[in-house]
Amino acid sequence: MRRRTAARGAAETATTEAPAGGDGSGGPAAPILVARQVTKIYRTATHEVPALRAVDLTIGRGELLAVMGPSGSGKTTLLNCLSGLDEIDSGSVTIDGADLGAMSDARRTAHRARHMGFIFQSFNLIPVLSAVENVELPLLLTGAKPGVARSRAEAMLERVGLGERQSHRPNELSGGEQQRVAIARALVAEPAIVWADEPTGNLDSQMAATVVDLLQEVNRAGQTIVVVTHDPGIAGRARRLVRMQDGRIVADGTALDLVGRDSHS
Amino acid sequence: MSRFLAVLALPILALMAHDLVRRPTVRRLALRNVARRKGEAVLVVAGSMLGTAIITASFIVGDTLGSSIRDFARTELGPIDEIARVDDPERFPALQQALGEPIPGVDGTLPALVARASVVKPGPSPRAEPGASLIEMDFDAARRFGDDPPTTGLADAGATPGPGEAVVGEALAEELGVGPGDTVDAFAYRSRRTLRVRAVLPELGLAGFEKPAAFVAPGTVAALVEGSAAPDTAPPDAMVLVSNDGGVYGGTATSPAVRQELERRTRGIAGVEVQTVKRDLLDDADSNAKEFTELFGGIGAFSVIAGILLLVNIFVMLADERKSELGMLRAVGLKRNQLVRAFGLEGGVYGVLACLVGAVAGIGVGRVVVVVAENVFNAGEDERFHITLRFTAEATSLLGGMVIGGVIALLTVWATSLRISRLNVIRAIRDIPEPLLSRPRRRGLVLGAAGMLAGGFLAVTGISGRSWFGALAGPPLAALSAVPLLRRLLPGRLVVSAACIFSLVWGIACFDLLEEVFEGSDIPTFVVQGVILVAAAVTLGAANADAIGRVLTRFAGSGRSLAARLAFAYPMARRFRTSMLLGMYALVIFVLTFLAVFTELFNAQAPRFTEETRAGYDLVVDSNPANPVTAEVLEAQPEVSAAAPLLRAFPEFSFEAHPTPDNWELSAFDERLLARGVPALGDRQARFGRDVDAWRAVLADPQLVVVSDFFLEEGGGPPSARLHPGDPVTIHNPSTGEQRQLTVAAITSSDWLLNGAMVGAPFARQFLGAEAVPTRHYAAVERGVDPEEAASALTGRLVENGVKADSIAELIRGGLSQQEGFLRLMQGYLALGLLVGIAGLGVVMVRAVRERRQQIGMLRAIGFPSRLVRSAFLLEAGFVAVQGIVIGIVLALVTSYQLLANSDTFGEQQLDFNVPWVPLAVLLAAALAASMAATAAPASQASRIRPAVALRIAE
Repeated sequence: MRRRTAARGAAETATTEAPAGGDGSGGPAAPILVARQVTKIYRTATHEVPALRAVDLTIGRGELLAVMGPSGSGKTTLLNCLSGLDEIDSGSVTIDGADLGAMSDARRTAHRARHMGFIFQSFNLIPVLSAVENVELPLLLTGAKPGVARSRAEAMLERVGLGERQSHRPNELSGGEQQRVAIARALVAEPAIVWADEPTGNLDSQMAATVVDLLQEVNRAGQTIVVVTHDPGIAGRARRLVRMQDGRIVADGTALDLVGRDSHS
Repeated sequence: MSRFLAVLALPILALMAHDLVRRPTVRRLALRNVARRKGEAVLVVAGSMLGTAIITASFIVGDTLGSSIRDFARTELGPIDEIARVDDPERFPALQQALGEPIPGVDGTLPALVARASVVKPGPSPRAEPGASLIEMDFDAARRFGDDPPTTGLADAGATPGPGEAVVGEALAEELGVGPGDTVDAFAYRSRRTLRVRAVLPELGLAGFEKPAAFVAPGTVAALVEGSAAPDTAPPDAMVLVSNDGGVYGGTATSPAVRQELERRTRGIAGVEVQTVKRDLLDDADSNAKEFTELFGGIGAFSVIAGILLLVNIFVMLADERKSELGMLRAVGLKRNQLVRAFGLEGGVYGVLACLVGAVAGIGVGRVVVVVAENVFNAGEDERFHITLRFTAEATSLLGGMVIGGVIALLTVWATSLRISRLNVIRAIRDIPEPLLSRPRRRGLVLGAAGMLAGGFLAVTGISGRSWFGALAGPPLAALSAVPLLRRLLPGRLVVSAACIFSLVWGIACFDLLEEVFEGSDIPTFVVQGVILVAAAVTLGAANADAIGRVLTRFAGSGRSLAARLAFAYPMARRFRTSMLLGMYALVIFVLTFLAVFTELFNAQAPRFTEETRAGYDLVVDSNPANPVTAEVLEAQPEVSAAAPLLRAFPEFSFEAHPTPDNWELSAFDERLLARGVPALGDRQARFGRDVDAWRAVLADPQLVVVSDFFLEEGGGPPSARLHPGDPVTIHNPSTGEQRQLTVAAITSSDWLLNGAMVGAPFARQFLGAEAVPTRHYAAVERGVDPEEAASALTGRLVENGVKADSIAELIRGGLSQQEGFLRLMQGYLALGLLVGIAGLGVVMVRAVRERRQQIGMLRAIGFPSRLVRSAFLLEAGFVAVQGIVIGIVLALVTSYQLLANSDTFGEQQLDFNVPWVPLAVLLAAALAASMAATAAPASQASRIRPAVALRIAE
């Protein structure tokens, strides 16, 4: 039997409500996402693997939330299920009052287009489109006029420091530049929430720092961001940290507390 | 060829066998990759096998035609190897005596007397066969002839027919609907004999000789001739049939020696002609089989090339998909040659499976082609072209198809594997695209220089030596090879575009610029031209893809057109594979369009061809040479207002490019043919101001002749050696051995009625004597009379003369419809190539779904609805298909227009260019619909991708 960690012991009594307002006031923030008893089981022909076990989580508007945990703990599955990328087996996920489970796939897709942005470790840019064309995609999807979409995409690329690289295709950009394009794409439609899965996993430390600075900057401007990461350095810069293990949230608190506790334990 | 290819393939097969047994790593990599995605392996094999199927089917069509013609040796000749004829029955006894003694290499001789007759079954609804033969032959002697009675077909025929009896061949019995006990009337030499049918013989050996035929009692022909003092009738054919040692098929080897001996023995007898009938027939069978194999193989070559492009595309995609794996394998120590061999072995497995399946599929395709071809052959009015095809698939053909298809697949796969293996390990592992070279590599420069030299050499030798290949391919090869060198001085796009435009212009205009070089061009020329044009057009498009992309994106800029934006972006960015796909489509559509243009074009010309052919007459009336109808009798018919006789004979001709004398139809005319107009001429000596001047000169001058542009040509395709006005032609009289030199006064624009060489009647009478018989007449019908009804009435009424009258317009329509049928058969055959293209598109889209899985997942994550993903894939496939179709159609229309407007590729026929809108619309719609159908499954698969799974973010 594995040794129970201090963090896990703490988690059994941890609250999963948003601990503090994203505005840094310390008061309770209005929740943008409420997840109740979310369960996800991966099934194969011969056996079942529970990936999420009755997870409860509330995320406040404007929060910068980091999700940490060892490989296989369910971090990415949590992100997929909360964002509606994947179906859940039981429980409920409500974003801005809308129940994702009650939506059809088409409505959920439309909901994602209007309310969510995504950043992934492997950038996942469309290789045959230029940087600006990649960035304007979410705007065009939500019905923006081409001219408006283009100027907003250009402005967003300026904001992430790629004003000069707009017409380049992904294979002509460095890894850090590609990730900044991905961030610009995630932010351009001003979504209610941005999901980032290991956004610095493919970057060197300098590039990673730049990307995290950028995420922090947009969060300070009021953008809700959920980051899945292995990197304590990144997690430490989030206001709130959720730690997962074996499909459960085992700790939820301020990043300073949890990361600090880790470093002292 | 298949032997040569087999030798080429042996080292590859040996290497594959070695790797299978001795290289477990290579074997494991190759075989597990084959088994990894079984559905796709099936698609790859299906796409690759079509090439083998097409090649095998081409061989089978040749086999079938060859064996069908060869079978005539059994059914229509049996033991007969040579025939010695004498033009005067008076000298028949002398001929028999001369050949009565044993002849070395000969196992028997058999005298026979044959008269042409019209045979009628009387009754309330009489049935007639105007072109029958009455044969006198001793049945006992006939059974001994050739030492193998069953092959004579007379084994069970009983005794020689007695007076008033007839033993009827199967063909005549079927035509007349008669059986044993029925009576028939035979008309010849203005006499009639009533005969009672004693037996009907199956078509075999002597019983099929000169069919449709009836064997009659000795003396019957003589009795018919006796009653007639009619001039202008062909005398009976008095002949001695000769059987060589060796049975039905084994005696032809000694035919030349036997012929020499027969000629030596009959030298003292005037008017004897010896024919090596069986050897000629078997030679014809072989050359027809070869011609058909080449014809279908040539047309099929487009599909085979499409198949090669598909294989290359599949392997390049496979390599792209596995790029990281391959890089990693190289990083951990797999040598480059092992990589080539692993890929080669995998492709080899596909190739071997494909050629096995393809050979079997080829039998099916060949069967369909044979059935359709038989219908086409037998649809025409002219019974000389009717044939019963016996489906034959020789083992060597199946093997040959398999070997050629397999070797093409193996070579393609190994060449592509070599190219793939040259990857940069780091870039491959990190999946970074190869950088675009701003300056050509040294290797490119060297190859370019070599290409320029080769192209220049080909061009110079081709143009000066009148070799079509060098003249056609040399200049484009030199231009494209100059690209690497010129790119050092000028912008790349400009250089590539200029080379492509030059190649396009040259590929179309060279036929006009170098008419003499391309005279008599055949299908291989067309294949090379198609490849050059399509390659140039596709490369031009690829070089300017970004500009095209900008234009298209402008149209697809709105949110609703996001699917279109992605649909255009992928093909524009993946230029190599898009070019391969476009090449596949464009090449096949190019030829299909070309065939459609000519199908439409010939059909539209029927009224004009009729007008040019009929010389003011409406009917062509053929009659029995032993009892021909006269112009006076015809003019006495109520339907006929005028008639012009043509003396007909079948002498031999030769000319400089065709030095061996060959039999060809001859028609000799008098003033009456020119009385109501003249047949149109395509070309004439400059001294003749009008067509009629040329015809009058030929009538007056015994040294002039009019020939068609297919004079002495056999089979289809453009003429191999064409005559021009002023050229000399030699006419030979085989009976007398006399020959005369004539000069071509003019060339007819078309010879729909198969008149052959046309000379003045006085010359024909003087040179050919009694052999020239007026068996053909042109007849004009009275005003208000329908020519077809008149033809039918004359055929029924003048049955004693064996009259067969036809409306000229109807004959030409029938000929055109046969031609159309054949072109449609070719189109159907070529449509197999379209299947390659469509299957290829399907395979490419299936792979594209896999390759873009993560991207699709991302798009779905950021809000792309699944229907938009599906639409993007369908649009992408449609975009590629439409581009290929448009390139093919435009190139074909421009080329066919150019051919019709400026060159004499189609002989002296003046053809007006018309765009066949309806067939093209059908072609476009069918190709597009099939492409969409092939993409529907992968598109749907793409739309069902779950974003979380595709992004591989599930733990």
